[in-house]
Amino acid sequence: MKKAIHYINQFFAGIGGEEKADHKPEIREGLVGPAMALNEVLDAQVTHTVICGDNFMGSNTDEAVEMILGFLEDKEFDIFIAGPAFQAGRYGIACGTIAKAVKEKFGVPVLTSMHIENPGVEMFKKDMPIFKGGKSAAKLKDDVKAMADYANKILNGEKTLPAAEEGFYDRGIRAQVWLESGKTGAQRGVEMLIKKLAGEEFISELPIPEKDLVAIAPPIKDLSKSKIALITTGGIVPVANPDRIQSASATRWGRYDISKMDRLKAGEYKTIHAGFDPAAADADPNVVMPVDAMKEYLKEGKIGALHDYFYSTVGTGTTQAEAARMGKEIVVKLKEDNVDAVIMTST
Amino acid sequence: MVKEIERAGIPIVQMCNLIPVAMTVGTNKIVPTISIPYPLGDPQTPKEVQWKLRYHRVGIALDALTADIDEQTVFKVKI
Amino acid sequence: MIMIVLKLTKIITITKEIKIERRGHMKLELGKFNVKDVLFGEKTFFKDGVLTINKDEAISFIKEDEHITDVDIVIAKPGENTRIVPVKEAVEPRIRPDGRAVFPGVTGELAMAGEGRVHALKGCSVLGVGMHWGSFGDGLIDMGGEGAKYTLYSQLINICIVADTDEEKERHEQQKKNTAIRMASHKFAEYLGETVKELEPEEIDIYELDPVTKRDEKVDKLPSVVLVMQPQSQMEELGYNDLVYGWDMNKYVPSFMNPNEVLDGALISGSFMPSSSKWSTYDFQNFPTIRELYKEHGKSLNFLGVIMSNLNVSLEQKIRSSIFVAQMAKSLGADGAIVTEEGYGNPDADYILCLAALEDVGVKTVGISNECTGRDGASQPLVTLDVKANALVSTGNVSEIIKLPPADKVIGELESLARDGLSGGWPFDEFLGSSVKEDGSIIMENNGMFCGDMIAGWSTKTMKEF
Repeated sequence: MKKAIHYINQFFAGIGGEEKADHKPEIREGLVGPAMALNEVLDAQVTHTVICGDNFMGSNTDEAVEMILGFLEDKEFDIFIAGPAFQAGRYGIACGTIAKAVKEKFGVPVLTSMHIENPGVEMFKKDMPIFKGGKSAAKLKDDVKAMADYANKILNGEKTLPAAEEGFYDRGIRAQVWLESGKTGAQRGVEMLIKKLAGEEFISELPIPEKDLVAIAPPIKDLSKSKIALITTGGIVPVANPDRIQSASATRWGRYDISKMDRLKAGEYKTIHAGFDPAAADADPNVVMPVDAMKEYLKEGKIGALHDYFYSTVGTGTTQAEAARMGKEIVVKLKEDNVDAVIMTST
Repeated sequence: MVKEIERAGIPIVQMCNLIPVAMTVGTNKIVPTISIPYPLGDPQTPKEVQWKLRYHRVGIALDALTADIDEQTVFKVKI
Repeated sequence: MIMIVLKLTKIITITKEIKIERRGHMKLELGKFNVKDVLFGEKTFFKDGVLTINKDEAISFIKEDEHITDVDIVIAKPGENTRIVPVKEAVEPRIRPDGRAVFPGVTGELAMAGEGRVHALKGCSVLGVGMHWGSFGDGLIDMGGEGAKYTLYSQLINICIVADTDEEKERHEQQKKNTAIRMASHKFAEYLGETVKELEPEEIDIYELDPVTKRDEKVDKLPSVVLVMQPQSQMEELGYNDLVYGWDMNKYVPSFMNPNEVLDGALISGSFMPSSSKWSTYDFQNFPTIRELYKEHGKSLNFLGVIMSNLNVSLEQKIRSSIFVAQMAKSLGADGAIVTEEGYGNPDADYILCLAALEDVGVKTVGISNECTGRDGASQPLVTLDVKANALVSTGNVSEIIKLPPADKVIGELESLARDGLSGGWPFDEFLGSSVKEDGSIIMENNGMFCGDMIAGWSTKTMKEF
């Protein structure tokens, strides 16, 4: 029989309301509050209930998470379920926080449920399935059942349906599906246009996601005292491609020593990036990775130093997740080598 | 990748041809290049011309590193 | 006596056809012959649904191009446990009874396509397959088993030209023009089409649009629609890109075309686009989105025609094409447009630019394309985005990983998937290993499935949130 652990707040544990929101995290063997309802519909035994006051989690998040992860260390469990949190903002955020931490530490599937207006939805929908929950505890049974139905599929290794059909918020994971309706791409396209022209409602199959901006890093005050590094996603590598960087969907990057040269030489460096005509880059790699221009600026004293290495990978088809990981790894190296700023060329 | 580097507080300029892509992704400092297969040097032009273009645009990128901006900016180039 | 009568009839028929041409009325008669089986035999002929091919004669014909150094013809049928790779091109066998070239500017002289009679062998396709060497834009087809659903070609009887060529210069290049094998496919498709040149078709499909300004009042009142097509044209060197009437589409600015021209051989496929995003020549000849618009023409919409654009690489070229597209749509008075791109990645910029440019001039748009959402399904699906593109059809994710068991028979060379830089395969990966395992099973990206995302509009495949 598989095992589950349920997380609830002080109110649902029957400890108290607002006045008990500072309740320290605890773990109890057996079922408390909604865990009983969950246990009835889940294909797993809910062995423990974790309880924490919403304020305690909100004001001492790190401590609360550490404590709870500590409680779970010696426990066996196959799935971790939090809430449902309905519209309670602090509770929703608490559910998302702890579920994410549990997923990251123990690698078990996690899920929760909350109403669409709960701020926890936007914050955590990318990290776990968050089921579309009701406004108030009146919906407890329904919300618990929705979570359990999906959890059971996961526990039994069954295929799951698209988010909209299962009942949780889009989490930004898309996958191919063959429509049962049998409507072809051509039919769907023409139908969608006819509806749009008639002013009727239609659903786009590719919703445009929101832009994700990053805070602008503080500008360099004095270039002549700064160390600049070069990076490219144009796949410029030594001709033997020693790091075996892929021509598309790259998961690897490399760094190559340019400290003893004035420019990249054709025949020593080339591009391995698929998806564009490589002729120009192979004939003169400096058109993609402008080592020669940087060396000139170094000589002139416009920049204080040029980093000994340039970093390279391939941009086409590479997932954001892989690009972010590679970016993080490269950042570590840049910081180790005291690089002040970067110029990146893309193709 | 640009965002990870910037997130770590290291100023970065992206030199690319497809400005709309960089804008969509959220890059803050952008310097245009002339094409995809040859961002900084058109092989149909003499080496001198290519070098001038490359030197100029890389220079703009270096200066962009020092620029104090408050929104996504595409820096203008002369050649 | 009889000879003279026949000759007279021919003259009368030709005169009639010229008369029709002069009226400027684009009416295409597609005569269909359903192919139920394809066999090798003593003669090359078509009868009662069976296409018989004299293999030796066919091979001689193909070898008339000296660049083809070695060739075999292999037939692959639906349901067989057969894997075909590297596939470079697919062409539907056709012929023009009046002697015009099926692919004007490619297999023969230039002449306007899109009207008159053309005969087609339905239910089958010529495939151009490399005997050994693959390239970035080549793809894979499984005729049976789990892999069959990833391409259209598992449903057709494929007459595979499996060839080796003397194209030494590109032997080990990742990007190949594949000229010899691709041209062989078009010529051979016409060669096979000869078998039904004089025969009466089982069925005739009529594709007919009145001139734009001379339509019925009833049709005029319906919302008017253009189809904007963006065939791939990224390579700056000639020989890789899609061709329109034999002209390289990199050196091209958008123009207004009649949909019949697309259905009737005016465009052929190129050799660059990652395979699942590709429009093969077969796709052009049968373009489902065009046929769907024809279906609705006169009922729920007024199909004005096709604005044929392209997909060049630099931002300036993309903007220029979008200007031409928007202006033509505006001047034609189109109420709506469907935009569809033969590609992902860089071409998404053209796709979104055109969609936005059209919306900006008041044309309501729908887009049809695939996505590159990453192996985890969580990456940004198109490289550029615009909120104006609020009506999109998605036909698949190039990045999805597909694992398939070994096939009993391989046409071509299986190792090419891992070795030759096909867009959906790789030689080495720390976690996944090589795309081709020792036992013949494969692991690849959907990217490598031959025309797998069926952007031309064939399939029920779409993308959903999970």
